[in-house]
Amino acid sequence: MTTAAPVPTSADGPRRHRLIGWALIAPALAAVAIIAAYPLVYTVLVSFSKSTLGRPFQSWVGWGQIVTAFTDGGQLASILRSLEFAVPAAVLSVVIGLVIALSLDTATRGGRVVRVIMLLPLMTPPVMAGVIWKLMFAPTGGLFNDLLAGAGLISEPVLFLGASPAAMICLIVVDIWQWTPFCVLLIFAALQSMPREVYEAAQVDGAGVWRTFRSVTFPLVLPSLVTVLMLKVIVSFKVFDLVFVMTSGGPGLDTNVASFNVYRTALQQFDLGAAGAQTIAFIVLVTIVVLPIATWRSRLLKAGSRA
Amino acid sequence: MAAAATLLAAGTLAACSGGSGSTTSGSKTLRVLIAAPQEGAGKALQADYEKSTGTKVKITVVPYDQIQTKAILDAQSGANQYDVIQYWYTSVGALAQADALDDLTGWVDKDKDIDKSDFIAPIYNAYTQYKGKTYGLPFDGDTHLLYYNKKILADNGVKPPTTWDEYLADVKKITDANKSKGIYGAVMMGDKSAFNIGSTFFNRLATFSSSPIDSQKPDLTSPAALAAAKSMVDAAPYTAPSPSQIGFDQALALFLSGKIGMMEAWTDLGTFAQDPSQSKIADNWGAVPLPAGAGGKTAAPLDAGWALGVSPSAPDQDAAKDFVKFATSKAENLKLVTTTGSGVDPTRTSTLESDKYKSFTPVVAAALTQILGNAQSWPTSPNAPKMIQSLNDNLAQMLQGSLTPQQALDATEKAWDAL
Repeated sequence: MTTAAPVPTSADGPRRHRLIGWALIAPALAAVAIIAAYPLVYTVLVSFSKSTLGRPFQSWVGWGQIVTAFTDGGQLASILRSLEFAVPAAVLSVVIGLVIALSLDTATRGGRVVRVIMLLPLMTPPVMAGVIWKLMFAPTGGLFNDLLAGAGLISEPVLFLGASPAAMICLIVVDIWQWTPFCVLLIFAALQSMPREVYEAAQVDGAGVWRTFRSVTFPLVLPSLVTVLMLKVIVSFKVFDLVFVMTSGGPGLDTNVASFNVYRTALQQFDLGAAGAQTIAFIVLVTIVVLPIATWRSRLLKAGSRA
Repeated sequence: MAAAATLLAAGTLAACSGGSGSTTSGSKTLRVLIAAPQEGAGKALQADYEKSTGTKVKITVVPYDQIQTKAILDAQSGANQYDVIQYWYTSVGALAQADALDDLTGWVDKDKDIDKSDFIAPIYNAYTQYKGKTYGLPFDGDTHLLYYNKKILADNGVKPPTTWDEYLADVKKITDANKSKGIYGAVMMGDKSAFNIGSTFFNRLATFSSSPIDSQKPDLTSPAALAAAKSMVDAAPYTAPSPSQIGFDQALALFLSGKIGMMEAWTDLGTFAQDPSQSKIADNWGAVPLPAGAGGKTAAPLDAGWALGVSPSAPDQDAAKDFVKFATSKAENLKLVTTTGSGVDPTRTSTLESDKYKSFTPVVAAALTQILGNAQSWPTSPNAPKMIQSLNDNLAQMLQGSLTPQQALDATEKAWDAL
């Protein structure tokens, strides 16, 4: 006697496909839960508790630490410093990166060599970069002060890292030095993928260099620029190593950015609860700044796909 | 998210549990956590102990400001990676409260070989005591002296100062006359780390105060505290630029290059200064006790300073204690103190009084003997890490000019009261 195999009904197919789909995506979901969701949940929980490094979750303290993180003068100042650092560092990196990428795009000879050399700052470990620049900015025996003194331009050393706003400007300069190659690479890749026929048409119409850039290149590369800007803003907000090595948050507290402040609270004062609350305040700031850029990027991409 | 991940890394290590699987007793290997500035001493100690007992020692070196984190996480997580923990003495209260150090009271009191009465009393008390219990034994008794460049002082008609007023006048005189040649009257460690700006302040607080500093909560409302802070601000413009960027490494390099008249520094600086391979001032330097402030007297502020304790989770407590006893013994202290580059300073009266030490570094020994009777401790309560950081932050803002000395002390006092 034989039995016939059950014939799948029309309703079973989509359900099975859905299950297979969920099974395939499960590892990725688990990874996201472990890497992203768990730290966030832990941070939220710890921020509502009195927690030290030695004794986490001693007691629940309600909204006190969160309110302090959003209202305390010192904490707010550190968040504003992050903004002061991240926005100029990101914008200037992208602008300079665009200029260099355009130059490389039009370079006929030596472009490959320049691209490799350009990568050196990016490949330098941030701590080493910080140490090198700190030595160059040193008031006694530092390269820049020696050059300025040798040229007779100064009689007393310039306090690059020991005065404000010079210290913050120096940090921004070093960050730009380190991350501009990253922007160049991404923008250069975007430029390389542009349709050549549009440029040919512009040439036929008699457009000059500036007109071609303004009417063809810039509109086409803008979605990529905004994407790079968004990435760079996020990277700049997370700056820690340069501050740690070059200024330790000084002079005074003038370069004590939010990420460094969280580190000090968590791993120097050992107050995990307060550090958790500061982290939440910091995440809110980053979101407020990044969200409009992300929205702008989405609109540009949608407009591009419609065109 | 990065900040959240940092917190998680710290927090989950503290919260999770599990053993390391490594045992001390089985393999007869002792695992010792050592701070980076003490690496030389740790290696020497390792060699000495292995030679003396046959027990293997594994040294783990971490930056000094991570010792407390490592020790607490090790205890809380149950990782049990260390048997013996070297700690900066100001963290004794925090480590004891977090159960990261074992209570050694009974053992220290009973074991006559330790001879606790031989430890220099102020050092022993500050380094080891919390709520009347003993949590370690002193290993390195750090304090500051005032070092000077003989030639620079002589060229400018200046003698080593005995008061902070004289110090200021001398520094100003030397700097005004020699700044164009790159020579300064002094170098001030004003970098925000505790060992730098903190030492600079406590050097003055200890020597302006007529009464001992309260190690639970130093009195920042006193005239002595204000005078100490003002002394820093008054001298800073005449010291090598710029104090806020100068830590020990930078200050040492400047002093050894022969361009600095005076420098407050630890007692082992003499060995660096006398080493011609790295110093241009060999045989051309001297050391005296720190100047005294008006109403105060010279003192030995306990800047830095290290002790050894036992992890409560050490599988073989006796072996760990034996190592601590060996490392802090009279013989070992004398040996390390008279070893160039060990970075270890006297913790015992017998070392201070020994002919070997006196002949090894006669200038430093003479100065040290004068002041160790008036050793002054930094805060050692469980809140000490927060107290020291808020003090350093406000002092850094004071040196920068954004706070007056009074404002810096008031802000610190307020922060301490909130704790």
